[in-house]
Amino acid sequence: MTDTLTTISLIALTLLSLAAWFVALSRARRVARGEPVTTFASLQTFLVGLCIALGAGLFIYRTLAVHKRWQPLEAHVDGLILIGALLAMTVTYLVKRGRMKGLSLFALPFLAVTFAWAICASLWTFRPFGEINSVWKMIHLSSVYGGMLFFIMAAIAGGMYLYVQKTLHTRHDPSATRPFASLEAIETLIVRTSALGFALLSLGLVTGLIIVTGGETRLGTGWWHSPKVLLAGAAWLVYAVVMNVKHTTHFRGARAAWLSIAGLILLLATFGIATALPALPKDEPPRPIFRSAPRPSGSGSEESRGNPLPYGRGSSSRSLASPRPAGTGLREIAFQRIDSVSSMLPEASCES
Amino acid sequence: MRIVMLSISHRTASVDLRERIAIAGERLDQAIQSLRHKYPHCEAVVLSTCNRTELYIARPLHEAPTYEQLDEFLADFCGIESKHVTSAAVHREQDQAVTHLFRVATGLESMVIGEPQILGQVKQAYEISQRSSAVGPVLHRVFQQAISVAKQVRSESGIGEGRVSIGSVAVDFASQIFERFDDKVMVAIGAGEMAKVTLKHLQALKPAKLWLTNRTRQRAEELAATMNLQGAVGSTGSGGGGVRSFEDLDELLVEADIVLTSTGATQPIITEERFRPLIRRRRSRPIFMVDIAVPRDIDPAVGNLSNVYLYNIDDLQRVVLKTHENRSAQVEQCEKMVFEAVRTCMATVQHRDVGLLIRALRDKLHSYAKDERQRSIKKRSNGSGEIDTELEKLLEEHDHRLVNKILHLPLQQLDPKNPDAPLGFFAAALKRLFALEEGTAAANEKETGDDAAK
Repeated sequence: MTDTLTTISLIALTLLSLAAWFVALSRARRVARGEPVTTFASLQTFLVGLCIALGAGLFIYRTLAVHKRWQPLEAHVDGLILIGALLAMTVTYLVKRGRMKGLSLFALPFLAVTFAWAICASLWTFRPFGEINSVWKMIHLSSVYGGMLFFIMAAIAGGMYLYVQKTLHTRHDPSATRPFASLEAIETLIVRTSALGFALLSLGLVTGLIIVTGGETRLGTGWWHSPKVLLAGAAWLVYAVVMNVKHTTHFRGARAAWLSIAGLILLLATFGIATALPALPKDEPPRPIFRSAPRPSGSGSEESRGNPLPYGRGSSSRSLASPRPAGTGLREIAFQRIDSVSSMLPEASCES
Repeated sequence: MRIVMLSISHRTASVDLRERIAIAGERLDQAIQSLRHKYPHCEAVVLSTCNRTELYIARPLHEAPTYEQLDEFLADFCGIESKHVTSAAVHREQDQAVTHLFRVATGLESMVIGEPQILGQVKQAYEISQRSSAVGPVLHRVFQQAISVAKQVRSESGIGEGRVSIGSVAVDFASQIFERFDDKVMVAIGAGEMAKVTLKHLQALKPAKLWLTNRTRQRAEELAATMNLQGAVGSTGSGGGGVRSFEDLDELLVEADIVLTSTGATQPIITEERFRPLIRRRRSRPIFMVDIAVPRDIDPAVGNLSNVYLYNIDDLQRVVLKTHENRSAQVEQCEKMVFEAVRTCMATVQHRDVGLLIRALRDKLHSYAKDERQRSIKKRSNGSGEIDTELEKLLEEHDHRLVNKILHLPLQQLDPKNPDAPLGFFAAALKRLFALEEGTAAANEKETGDDAAK
């Protein structure tokens, strides 16, 4: 019952985001034609407001009614719902506060993708994080999801910067790009969101290191040069540059915008690797990504939460994993390497 | 009341004549007082701008001033021959006069279609007349409606969108690059007339510093003086900035965020080779360059460098032309809105006129009835002096019913809600047949209004 409600809500949120985006597009076209847009503006605000309310409501509902305990981030889907709701809030705030009406044109597709991703994370790649039994884990999850929100904002601002710059270079009527804010304002937004995201990502990486090296999940000696760690480190470096572009000579303007987008792509790639591959301590024998045995119907979706998943991180799920003899083949080595790295990343990234 | 209008504008008169008939400042008040003195039953508003001088009058039907009298008044007041005014004047009355006012207020009659200043000027003219008690119920309604429709048209159509001057387009581009200007440095290279006009627009952005430089230093100093900047080298004037030597150009280019060039140089003074090494010193800060010189002062290759936004005179003019095209495309829609507004406004004015007429007619009939009733009562008492109150009451009721029955059919025909009724014709006929005086009715209305106000 609860899963159905979550899925329906997420589909509704995705459709609402798309509808808001279409309204924003129509509004932009009408602005360009010099036609009145009051109705469109109100409708867009209403739709985004609905996204915020429904997203926040769904997050609270899942915490109280689905998880039935005070652990808001039970699974990656919760993290995505949280990011979606916060993204909608941030965009509404920026649009209302600053001269950034055009921001919604770039942000709303991201919102729709986030909610669509949450549908996938709920239906097909669902796996609970398990018990969050340490402060480090809680800080780790919160900071990585918070950081992700700011990096998405930075990438959105980066896209907007490139669009405005391109329009300025074409020397068209500047009034057409007026709702998108000035390049200086967009660059400031990129720098500020990157700085906030950088701080949170740093916190997430430090707590991740503490988790993997000191406590709950132990990794082997080669964890630090795994793709996941390298990608996360590269993203961290990129944002370190982006937040300081105003003090550099070579990375101002369009380059900063491209870097903010590249940083998000690196982070998404890190998430992708973590999502695609299971995380295992190094002392465990490597296991295949996909189960060789046929899965019971509904397993892998949120509906199968009652049954222990075959390749989860918890001890109960691990016990059900079909043991694989330790081999020396490339595939096994790759599994070992990636498994060791995946536990570095947020718990959300460990779902598969 | 009839609404009449005299207009002399940029469409009908040369700038020479427009200058001579312009009524500005205190003279505007004098003109209104003079009109009121000469035609006391009129309502009057005088609108005078650099592009037009117009008189709007609401007067009782068949009363002065006529068109010729208006021409004479304007000629006398401005001290020119009447024939000059007559040859350039356009006269309109009733709904055409109101249409003209509405078109003027919305900017459809302006030299630059949709320009916003005219609405402020219409408001000001109305307020000045109001202060002089020259605005009555008719012009009050018409001008209120004109201001309202102008706002509506501006907000609901794109008639006011876009920029119409090179300077304002440059400001728009600058605003797309920079968010704030109080920490920006502006550099103007060249001191020609074009530079002055464009610079005035850019100066309105209130940059932290505005430096002027020119090969002939004296001209830069003259321009600095007109722009309220101090002329000494390196000194900071009241506006922040001043005149710098032309030899400091490289330093200025390092310092500048906005550059305006308008020199008479035959070769580019800012080339790619000159500017490229400065980028590093500038720490790749974005720079907005406006080159309004012909031949160009800035090599177009400079515009391809990173974080350089270069616009020449053609780029800016293209935007201006686009604005004109867009505004012209909106004219039809605006005219429809104006047409609707005029219809509503005229209906309201006529409604009021008919109301006054009906009241005057009823008052007249009741007055006749009262006279006849008094006569009958007098006869009935046979000179005894005793008044039969019952009979008087009965007769009064009888008269009242009779007057109402007589008026019933004409009043139905005069219903302002009936769109097919030739109100003007009926009103004129009634006035003529019953010798009704509009002025009396209006005066009655005013008295009633004053009493109510008290």
